[in-house]
Amino acid sequence: MDIPYTVTPRKDTGLYNAKVGIWLFLASEVMLFGGLFSGYVFLRVYADFPWPERSLPIVPGLINTFILIGSSVTVVFAWAALKMRKWRQFQVYMVITLLCAALFMVLKGIEYKAKWTHQAVRMKDFVVVEGHNHKFTIDSKGKIEHYPAGGHGGEGHAHHDLEKNGMFLIADKDESAGDKSKGKKDKHYYNKVVFNGDSVTIDLERFYDPIVQDLMAQAQKQGSKMKLTQSIIGRPNHKVAEETLASEGDLLSLGLLKELRAVHLDAKAHNAKIRTKQNRDAWARLRKDLPKEMRGEPSYKIKNDLELDPEFDKFIVATTSSLTFNIEPTVTFVLKPRSVRESAESASFMDGTLLSGAMDSKHSQIEMAADAIDFRFVAQRAEEKGIDPEVAIQNTWLMKNNPKVKELWAQHNKHIEKFEAELLKKHGRGKDGNPTHVPTDTERYRIGWQELVNMGEGKEMMGVFSGFAGPVHELDKEAKKSHYSRHFPEIVVPREEVNLESKFTPRWNNYYAIYFLITGLHGLHVVGGIIVLGYFLVFGKKMYLNNPERLANRVEVGGLFWHFVDLVWIFLFPILYLM
Amino acid sequence: MADSVAEIKKAKKLYTFIGLTLFIFTGITVAVATVPALDVGGHGFDVYDMVLGLLIAAFKASLVMLIFMHLNHEKKLVYFLFIMGIVFGIFLMAITAWAFSDPISYGSGTTDQGKSGFYNPERAPVD
Repeated sequence: MDIPYTVTPRKDTGLYNAKVGIWLFLASEVMLFGGLFSGYVFLRVYADFPWPERSLPIVPGLINTFILIGSSVTVVFAWAALKMRKWRQFQVYMVITLLCAALFMVLKGIEYKAKWTHQAVRMKDFVVVEGHNHKFTIDSKGKIEHYPAGGHGGEGHAHHDLEKNGMFLIADKDESAGDKSKGKKDKHYYNKVVFNGDSVTIDLERFYDPIVQDLMAQAQKQGSKMKLTQSIIGRPNHKVAEETLASEGDLLSLGLLKELRAVHLDAKAHNAKIRTKQNRDAWARLRKDLPKEMRGEPSYKIKNDLELDPEFDKFIVATTSSLTFNIEPTVTFVLKPRSVRESAESASFMDGTLLSGAMDSKHSQIEMAADAIDFRFVAQRAEEKGIDPEVAIQNTWLMKNNPKVKELWAQHNKHIEKFEAELLKKHGRGKDGNPTHVPTDTERYRIGWQELVNMGEGKEMMGVFSGFAGPVHELDKEAKKSHYSRHFPEIVVPREEVNLESKFTPRWNNYYAIYFLITGLHGLHVVGGIIVLGYFLVFGKKMYLNNPERLANRVEVGGLFWHFVDLVWIFLFPILYLM
Repeated sequence: MADSVAEIKKAKKLYTFIGLTLFIFTGITVAVATVPALDVGGHGFDVYDMVLGLLIAAFKASLVMLIFMHLNHEKKLVYFLFIMGIVFGIFLMAITAWAFSDPISYGSGTTDQGKSGFYNPERAPVD
């Protein structure tokens, strides 16, 4: 059967059908992206944190804008070539379009990667430090050795491997980026919670195998045993008599946990049945004597407390919902910060597993080569409370404990004073006597990476393309020897002072959430465009020979979609990169 | 719509010209945001920069729609579909805007909670 109106217009619409279809689709797309843009406005206007305005590196975004506009021109040229029946020309323009689209995605990938390998820490007093974590290794005996190194490429590589190693803990995976001179592979990690655990409590209903397995593996490696603290008595089948299911000193194993879970869930279900029966019985007794006019009333009006039959209680079976194991001798667990909620005495996992013991503060501290120190949040909070921001900043943990930061801040303040005077000289004062032009909050309260480089000795790094997708942590020869990046100060933050630590991912703040959502969705549209336009290029020849006008119409419709993708980016670029 | 070969050749010149215009205006957007001498309003990003940036973006977007997407000579139905899309898009934005000022649940600003749909502990009614 022939599809009607692929070439000739329909009489009532005056259009070939595909065009009506694509415009309907584009209308729905306008609504989709319109909703997302309004979500952006909403999040930004009501943000309770300093919005990171103009924080993305502009160059990749600018190049991407040029690429998309260029491909919009070539896709319309490809359509024109088909209209003029020039197949070869069509091929050329379409290939250029697809190359542009692919390049767009590559640049996007570079940008994304820079984000999710970039560490950020927000302290309890709202100081924000950004940078890259230092490398450290753990040998087979659990000994920890630190390799402070700001190497950008190396960090990204190892981080990637760490992510691959599993979702939760970082027990025993090899990472070969280490010193080959030692003749054996070391494991490198960047950010961890070190916890000396002497007991672990496992929630039988919620425990998740990989988490328990990781803990067991780490204990086994250090030659430690996890022993049950008390015997567990229960009735595996609630009809038979009580028996000992596990005795004190039994070793932790998944089999044991699963067995006990089965008994627990069985007993729980049994108890629920008994309770239901008990309640139903009580209600039946009550309703029997109820006067007729009360029968339609809701139950709470009839009776608040039912008289339950105590006879049923003897059928209730005791259950055990959690087990505690002693860890002998104490194990030094190395945990991934994202998977654990830690305090000085305990560390809890998302499945309810709880480690008790003591956090190793010294080894858990976050060490980073800081490429930005941001006091904007401190200043915002101080202003909300009516405190002088400068006083609040001077009182932060970092300023009190890190002389290098204090020095940098003093230097930064001198810059700002000079800059303020410059602005005043250039623009003068307004009618109210205040300067018309003042430094922005970002300039005033944030020491960014370019500034850090300028304050240091690294002017040679400030080329056009350095910092293409973010701060440059590359090491020069001298620095490589000492493992330190000489441009960025080393900042050590104890974990007790940290409120939130994250890579630049949606977890870090709403800005990155909406950034990844909108640009990710836009990126998917680009991929969709590549697939559709690529199909016309590769499989279009046959249709071109049979019915060239129909192929031209197809390309026009695909092109309309492509222009729309360009259209969205025309708004996204200034909003995300320049505002 | 251009259909004859001559017309298409003419249209291609227009497409090139529009492409160049878009390039130039992209450059202008970046320039007004980054070059201090071209900064409108106060120093740094403010509402003037936002309006200017969005105006340039809207201008670029309308060029793409009118020329590349052929909206300068299109059938009535297409305008209808597209305009309905925009109308509904604006309606969706309006729904979010109700969080800022909600005339339905909170009246016109005379209640204790005020106009905003956000919970405000300072102005919460005491019971």
